[in-house]
Amino acid sequence: MNQLLYQTSWWVPVYGLLGAILTLPWSVGLVKRTGPRPAAYFNILMTVLALIHTGVLLWAVWDLEPERLLVPWLSLPGFDLWLTFVTSRISVGAAFFITALSLLAQVFALGYLEKDWGLARFYALMGFFEGAMSGIALSDSLFLSYALLEMLTLSTYLLVGFWYAQPLVVSAARDAFLTKRVGDLLLLMGVVTLSVIAGSMDFTHLDLWAKVANLSPLVATLLGLALLAGPTGKCAQFPLNLWLDEAMEGPNPASILRNSVVVACGAYVLIKLQPVLALSPTVLEVLMILGALTAVGASLVAIAQIDIKRAMCHSTSAYLGLVFLAVGTQQDEVALLFLLTHGVAKALLFMSIGSVILTTSTQDLTEMGGLAPRMPATTAAYVVGAFAMIGLLPLGCFWAMLQWSEGVWATAPWLIGILLLVNGLTAFNLVRVFGLVFWGETKPKTRRAPEVMWLMALPMVTLTIAVLLLPLVLQQWQVLPSWQQVNPTLVALLVLSGAVGTGLGGWLYLSPRVAKPVGLVWKSVREVLAYDFCIDRLYKISVVLGVVQGARLTAWFDRYIVDGLVNFVGVASIFSGESLKYTISGQSRNYLLTLFVGVVLALMALAWSYGNWYF
Amino acid sequence: MLSILIWAPILGAVLIACLPEAIVTQRARSIALAVSSMALLWSFYIASQFNLSEPGWQFQEFLPWIESLGLGYQLGMDGLSMPLVMVNSLLTWLAIFSSDRQINRPRLYYVLLLILGGAVAGAFLSQNLLLFFLFYEVELIPLYLIIAIWGGARRGYAATKFLIYTAVSGVLILAAFFGLSLLSGHSNFDYDLLRSQTLPLATQLILLITLLIGFGIKIPIVPLHTWLPDAHVEAPTPASVLLAGVLLKLGTYGLLRFGLGLFPQAWQTIAPGLAALAVVSVLYGSFAAIAQTDMKKIVAYSSIGHMGYIILAAAAATPLSLIGAIAQMISHGLISALLFLLVGVVYAKTGTRDINVLRGLLTPERGLPVVGSLMIAGAMASAGIPGMMGFIAEFIVYRSSFEVFPVQTLLCMVGTGLTAVYFLIMINKVFFGRLPESLANLPRVRWQDRIPAVIVTMLIIFFGVQPSWMVRWSETTATTLATNQGGLPAFAVAQPLPSPASLVTLTDVDG
Repeated sequence: MNQLLYQTSWWVPVYGLLGAILTLPWSVGLVKRTGPRPAAYFNILMTVLALIHTGVLLWAVWDLEPERLLVPWLSLPGFDLWLTFVTSRISVGAAFFITALSLLAQVFALGYLEKDWGLARFYALMGFFEGAMSGIALSDSLFLSYALLEMLTLSTYLLVGFWYAQPLVVSAARDAFLTKRVGDLLLLMGVVTLSVIAGSMDFTHLDLWAKVANLSPLVATLLGLALLAGPTGKCAQFPLNLWLDEAMEGPNPASILRNSVVVACGAYVLIKLQPVLALSPTVLEVLMILGALTAVGASLVAIAQIDIKRAMCHSTSAYLGLVFLAVGTQQDEVALLFLLTHGVAKALLFMSIGSVILTTSTQDLTEMGGLAPRMPATTAAYVVGAFAMIGLLPLGCFWAMLQWSEGVWATAPWLIGILLLVNGLTAFNLVRVFGLVFWGETKPKTRRAPEVMWLMALPMVTLTIAVLLLPLVLQQWQVLPSWQQVNPTLVALLVLSGAVGTGLGGWLYLSPRVAKPVGLVWKSVREVLAYDFCIDRLYKISVVLGVVQGARLTAWFDRYIVDGLVNFVGVASIFSGESLKYTISGQSRNYLLTLFVGVVLALMALAWSYGNWYF
Repeated sequence: MLSILIWAPILGAVLIACLPEAIVTQRARSIALAVSSMALLWSFYIASQFNLSEPGWQFQEFLPWIESLGLGYQLGMDGLSMPLVMVNSLLTWLAIFSSDRQINRPRLYYVLLLILGGAVAGAFLSQNLLLFFLFYEVELIPLYLIIAIWGGARRGYAATKFLIYTAVSGVLILAAFFGLSLLSGHSNFDYDLLRSQTLPLATQLILLITLLIGFGIKIPIVPLHTWLPDAHVEAPTPASVLLAGVLLKLGTYGLLRFGLGLFPQAWQTIAPGLAALAVVSVLYGSFAAIAQTDMKKIVAYSSIGHMGYIILAAAAATPLSLIGAIAQMISHGLISALLFLLVGVVYAKTGTRDINVLRGLLTPERGLPVVGSLMIAGAMASAGIPGMMGFIAEFIVYRSSFEVFPVQTLLCMVGTGLTAVYFLIMINKVFFGRLPESLANLPRVRWQDRIPAVIVTMLIIFFGVQPSWMVRWSETTATTLATNQGGLPAFAVAQPLPSPASLVTLTDVDG
């Protein structure tokens, strides 16, 4: 039985892809009579099957050692490519988590996109998305993970570009693809290099290899940086972070997954690559710097946003920055725990704000207010999600943060400052959004706001309960420390930072006495934050400038130098032919003279050259 | 057996040429389709008979012809030519299928297309240098005429440019062949005979560089490429499909067969230079493509870039890299064919290829949604997204070339990123956005417009998921042709590593 389960573990990603293929008749318009709904049902059915499969698999492998499954794919002289899967508690658990969230998001989407004509296309992309992600979860091969990350890039492009008739969406989709592509390209360079010098691309082999590898520091650093670039793009870390902000133009159900599990896929690969990255201390330092910069910077940027989705997505970058720091300090398990707790909490927050957006038809925070009594389930979901995000009550992220800080307590206590700052700022931001959306007076767009339909409420409430129960589950898995082992100073610091953030936010945004909008800092600072530290300028003067100028220069060179030269030769030969024809007199003695002179000259040249050679 | 691949299309052409006018106008297309389907089926049959483990020639044919010149009718097929012959048969069929039904002067048109297909097959199958040259030149004339007669506004210029360039290429190749046969003291042009000769290195170098320039025009290698964008832009869609899909491959095929095959030592000497040229081609083609506004020009410059990968892999000349080179030939053949087919549909329906005029074509009902989706698939395949054959071909190329030319390979990989840039620009401008009023009343796309593109897309995805079906044909040949048995670069791991195989047995369930 177990053997059969192992053998079929590679089916898990296939369900999603199969669902995507099943929607094709509807998404290309072959079947019109039924409307696009059946495509959605097929996909949900496939996801349910995947969920059952991963559930059974998880139950079976729980107490067992990790097992690897090799699927031979391509065998060439001196080079074999296997698609390697690993079934361990962690990998199957990750796949289960992804499928479960995907199922919730898909049911949510049935309601959210009820009247959208492109429903079938959306589900095809969601199936693709889910397949690629659960594949990454189970993959034990860098090659396979890379391939699936690229597929995620493609499906992100298509999902963000779902409403492709809108101009902002078009540029958002493009930027999402190209930014991730920059990371992927560097990652590919790393993959190719690693495959040559390590001789294998399986994570298990790479671990062993990294222990004995003897690379020059320069090679190790360059290799590590290349490998780091891929996750940096996927996890929306500085400097490849802007795409996530723009990607919020896409439909919300996809954002649920994007902000919880898609970004986590990048970090998951990063965790698996950690032994190789650790070959160079410089790489680990870069990793920490990027993580720290993003964690603090993105938390600040989030506070300056007035778009509800953008206010949330920057905090995703910030939390993934904390995960980067965890990987940099070699706490892989904490990083995984963080991905889980952040993932569920963020997914819940995105479901809640998705409901708000659908009901109010706006994403502008300044146009909202007073939704709490009108949308109780949505409000509850938001509150639970918000508390699970921050370190205040003993919900999910509290425990992750606690373990995180305990890990760095001995080695690098200054990092705890970053954690407390992120925690406080996030708490402040979440209360700010709560105050603007759910609290206070109603505005024209929120006056007639009913609670969402059951298709959206059901997954939202389910997830709310799951988030509340998560600490108990973690307790059951013995991931959490017992109260005796906890460092009370850290708990106090964590709760204090959360409480300060919440309190400050509550004082400014929940009290009617403070005038809105609240001007916290100078306008110039606010604008720099609202425009994401002007990172798009940075792109414009670096990569974009290089590519654009390179293209212009090449095109100019091609047109005027290379082609110009060719045309010049052509024109010159036509012209010389045309002009030479007038030198023809028609008198044969002139031709004879020319011939004679030519022969004499040729003979002289010949004699001269022979003279040089032989005498 | 092989002769049928060459002579069936040519006999079909003769048949169409001889039929009375009344029948031809109605039936030319059907006859051409029937003949090319037959050639296609026959090449499937040959593929089924192909022996994968045989390194040498298969299905050889020999007829003495002009003995005094050393010209014999010698045909043979190996793992290098077999996939290319398949691609040729397939694309010839697709080109005929996707031709306009109401085309002017159908008799001449289909005659030329069939001759083109037959001649290309002949060039791939020739085992005699002079015979190869003959087919190589014969293929030129129909394409010249197709561009010159059915081309766009500047067809005269483009066709002449094409003719002059390719004729120069032919002359150089002929000169190299003559030089080789004279210097080796034979009056014969038999490939195997000449292959067994060893000339002094200096002589080899001169001959090889002559060949390189000759085939470099055809491939094309930057800076010998300027004929290609013009020819593509002016050529009708089926001619573009054949030009990008198979005719360019004649250049890389010739380079591998006659350059690497006949001058292995000299090849080692010029390989670093060739790799550098590959980098220039890749980056130059990609950058130039970004600046274009004509969809066909974008695809044409992208061809220049992607042919660069084949040169890189050929320069590395390890068994794996040659497999990669052949895989990339097939993959580029199909992907560029797909892109040209789709651009052709867009042009036929909208009347323009300017990316600044077109917009929102993905819109359902009134736009071209299926064509747009296929175009996204084609562009992504070209940009090397996994799951499609472009990825695995390029990955093999990178992986194998990195062992020999690490820096050049990394630079070439930048081209993959740039591919994403220009195709994304094209898709964003042409297919995304709101459909403008001026494009709101497009003629309907019929399924027969889409079928060729759908077939090619399915093949691209199929070989992307199951690449061993694409590469297994050429494994044996590539191993025998390789000059460089591969080796790790200088900075490879110094310490011995537990071999992957032994690790597998430790932790593996079973494959």
